[in-house]
Amino acid sequence: MAPSVGGDPAAPTDTAASQSAPDGSSKAAIDGAQTSKTSAIASSGKQENGVANGETKASGAEAKKRAKAEKAAKREREKAERAGAGGTAAGPQASEQGGQSSGALKPTQNQQKGQKDRQGEAKAQAQAQTSSKDAKASHKRTGSVSAANAQRPLALRRRPSQSGGQAKESKQIVKEVGLFGHLYNQPRRYTIEGASKAVHPAVLALGLQMSSYTICGSSARCVAMLLAFKKAIEAYSTPKETSLPRHMSSHYLSPQIDFLKTCRPISVSMGNAIRWLKDQIIHIDPDTDDGEAKAELCAGIDQFIRERITVAGSAIAASASTKIKPGDVILTYAKSALVEQTLLRAHEAGTDFRVIVLDSRPLFEGKNLARALARAGLRVQYMLLSAAPHAAKEATTVLLGAHAMMSNGRLCSRVGTAVVAMLAHARAIPVIVCCESVKFTDRVALDSIVQNEIAPSEELLLPSAAAGVADGGSLAKWKETPGLQLLNIMYDVTPAEYIDMVVTEFGFLPPSSVPVVHRISTERDVRT
Amino acid sequence: MPSAIPPPPPSLTTYLRSLEDTPLDKSITTLISLLKRRQIRSSRSCALATTKLLIAVVEAGSPDSSHNTWSSTSALITRIRQVGRKLISAQPKEIVIGNIVRRVLGVIREVADRDSETGNAADLSGSEISGPTSPVTGERSVLPMRLSEFSSRDVLSGRPGTADSIASSTFSAPMAGPPTQQQRPNLMNAPTGTSLFSILQHPQQNPSRSTSSPYATPPAGTQSPALRPSPTSKSTISNAEAGGESLDIKAEVLDGLAELLDELSVVDSQIAESALEHIHSGEVILTHGSSRTVQRFLLTAAGKKRKFTVFVAESYPNDHSATHDTLVNGAQPPVSPDDEGLGGEKGRWRGLTAAGVTVVLVPDMAVFALMPRVNKVLLSPHAVMANGSLLAAAGTEGICLAAKEHRVPVVVLAGVYKLSPVYPFDEEGMVEYGDPSKVVGFAEDGRFVDGVDIVNPLSDFVGAEGVGLYVTNLGGCAPSYLYRVVGDHYRGEDVDLGVEEAGSRV
Repeated sequence: MAPSVGGDPAAPTDTAASQSAPDGSSKAAIDGAQTSKTSAIASSGKQENGVANGETKASGAEAKKRAKAEKAAKREREKAERAGAGGTAAGPQASEQGGQSSGALKPTQNQQKGQKDRQGEAKAQAQAQTSSKDAKASHKRTGSVSAANAQRPLALRRRPSQSGGQAKESKQIVKEVGLFGHLYNQPRRYTIEGASKAVHPAVLALGLQMSSYTICGSSARCVAMLLAFKKAIEAYSTPKETSLPRHMSSHYLSPQIDFLKTCRPISVSMGNAIRWLKDQIIHIDPDTDDGEAKAELCAGIDQFIRERITVAGSAIAASASTKIKPGDVILTYAKSALVEQTLLRAHEAGTDFRVIVLDSRPLFEGKNLARALARAGLRVQYMLLSAAPHAAKEATTVLLGAHAMMSNGRLCSRVGTAVVAMLAHARAIPVIVCCESVKFTDRVALDSIVQNEIAPSEELLLPSAAAGVADGGSLAKWKETPGLQLLNIMYDVTPAEYIDMVVTEFGFLPPSSVPVVHRISTERDVRT
Repeated sequence: MPSAIPPPPPSLTTYLRSLEDTPLDKSITTLISLLKRRQIRSSRSCALATTKLLIAVVEAGSPDSSHNTWSSTSALITRIRQVGRKLISAQPKEIVIGNIVRRVLGVIREVADRDSETGNAADLSGSEISGPTSPVTGERSVLPMRLSEFSSRDVLSGRPGTADSIASSTFSAPMAGPPTQQQRPNLMNAPTGTSLFSILQHPQQNPSRSTSSPYATPPAGTQSPALRPSPTSKSTISNAEAGGESLDIKAEVLDGLAELLDELSVVDSQIAESALEHIHSGEVILTHGSSRTVQRFLLTAAGKKRKFTVFVAESYPNDHSATHDTLVNGAQPPVSPDDEGLGGEKGRWRGLTAAGVTVVLVPDMAVFALMPRVNKVLLSPHAVMANGSLLAAAGTEGICLAAKEHRVPVVVLAGVYKLSPVYPFDEEGMVEYGDPSKVVGFAEDGRFVDGVDIVNPLSDFVGAEGVGLYVTNLGGCAPSYLYRVVGDHYRGEDVDLGVEEAGSRV
């Protein structure tokens, strides 16, 4: 059977294989788990191959039929595999193969080859990731990256949602919460597949770290982005017949930013930093030499990080820690690098106080904070948000971090912050927000619905359910239940009247002064 | 049938089943240990178990008597108080246990009142004095006449505000006692001297109590009038036929308790009857956890073709799996009060989504973000206090406060058995704390658990100002009116049972 059938379809199957190779390379995921998966496919392919060899002695037509069936089955499996890996390019390849599936032996061999290629590529990707780990290490130096995550191997960092992320799309019409329909077009990218070639590897790595919450938190993301951009700028060379100020931001930085945006919507601080960076680039003299201009930009970035985030952070910590008095009970929610710094500073200063950390599903960011504080020797209580009234009964001060401060004085922060602020306000406990001015924005917000970020609903599944364990909770079936929707928003907006004070590097402000300070700080940025 | 929080079915069902063939003392100790070990929890399960046990206590008869009878109501009251005290101190934070004990005591006292009245009447009729007027009750005697016309049946048929409600609250002292047709004439026929005498005779009667108030729980017999003869008619028959006073007490009390049991089983469907008065089409409703009362309420509205959206806060970490389960598979029907599940629904209820409701599961922290778009908050508490405050699953206070901030009405669905006559002096003491490993397990993060103090409160105390409306099985009422409903159901002398209860500093 092999010669009779193999000769004719050889050409088309080759194209299929050649197509599957790049396809595979792009889909080859970044961690070891994926590699083992592909090797599993390869071995199953081999098995099938053997079966086909042994039984092809039957009638030609029958063999043809069986081969077709096998091929179809394999296609199905691969499709599922790809959907699982979050790939979107499964469609074209499958349809291509669907046309010419008479070959039984050749295609499987080819495919095997393709899979081996894929395996190799996956390894290469894994190496790329280790290099990105170095980049990560450099982020860590700023101190804003959550420390606990840094030690874990990358393979473990993926969110459980990853596997379901794309499969959801087919049913999204039903699973989108109507009120938040406008927010569902925010992309969440978990692979580097389909990324523009112009995107620098450091930015690629950063994008994935952001979508997997490895780097999480407004300032941490901002610093990490600037550092990645610094790497990208260092690798930049101005094409001929154009100048750096004209070319760089629109043709080189834009794809990087667009890639980051497809990983997770960018934060206000990132937007501010990007605006500042573009402004810097435009103001470079076109006659400046490439190397000199790049060095200037990199120095500028370093200075921005230092001034607007690092020094600003320690200034805020220094002034906010003066608000902590002996015997205080400080209530905080989730994790803010600034709050952590403030508390540690007050502790170092010898103030005797205790901390209640409130936390919530699904990110449990507060655990990291509680752990860090406990390690420093603070007395820490840890509760979930449902216990907020109990915590508020004891608390004397509420310290909150910020995602952004809106121009109308409202605070945009991790969802749940508003509940804490409200409970504290109701009990007349002062609510203090620690926020660098880089997080100020001229946008305004009245509610948490118009502007928000929707995280994949799968993140709300309990860990066991997300892993697909049979008894992993009833929510595992939520997608099959029509009319049941899961809502996983990231932020909420706290009304200005709940906030008593905003601590910035410019000092203590009422929330109503946010637009003024924002104006001053941006004017200063533009001037320099 | 249904109620608040899902009970752990094995323990409650097995307990109810074992009640039949276990000696009484053992049943009492078993329930005490089940309550202590929290193997029976949730208001409804506790109410059911307590009622069944107290029924068994009544059935068993006086410990001193060899005939399984009760020589006097006071002996019965002493016994019930004694068992009740044990149960309450076994789990002081389950307010409902105390409620049920008081309701049972109320039933007994009512029987005692009737008993003594009929006894009085018999003596007096022997003296053949039957003057209807008297200097004291002269003008009032008109009212009792009307009262007997507007007997409790009129109230039950849903005619509110009849004279008896006014009369009973104003003039309850002279005519205290159930306004039944059989007894009322006796009371009225009493001569002047005796009517004054009877005022002095029954000083212990609580003036605020009146079974004929429109807010009193109608006997569940109205649900199935054919099944059960009214206790009063029975009592007259037994009174007339036999002089077996002690048997009479037992039978009457058991009748009253059967009504209480019936009330527990129909309470959710009675609450759900008013669903259409509260849910309009297109409404956005926020609820918390997996209460069966709320599920039933929503299902009833959905069954009447109202389309609405429900946001469900999942109540992590103590009740989230039940919430998830309820949303995906539909609510578990509650354990039936009748051991064999007489006519109870088998299998699960229909899920809300199957009824055409859009259900959105949200984490607890998103309630503030959603509140501006929510039209109504539906809650089902563990217990409701006389002043309109309530005790409910942790997270409720945040929801109520957010609702208040956004001027969203909070509708609380609570059966009358959850209403407690105890005034909450010690709000802190009512809050129960649970297993901290539900927050962070030692197995998952031992070092973290070591260094950090983890707290897991199970309940929240919400003040009356956080609640817009109470919907009980008797209809809706404002939180400020609740004390009156409480007054209708408990006797003043039973409020203090002489045990330390959560929230009360006796």
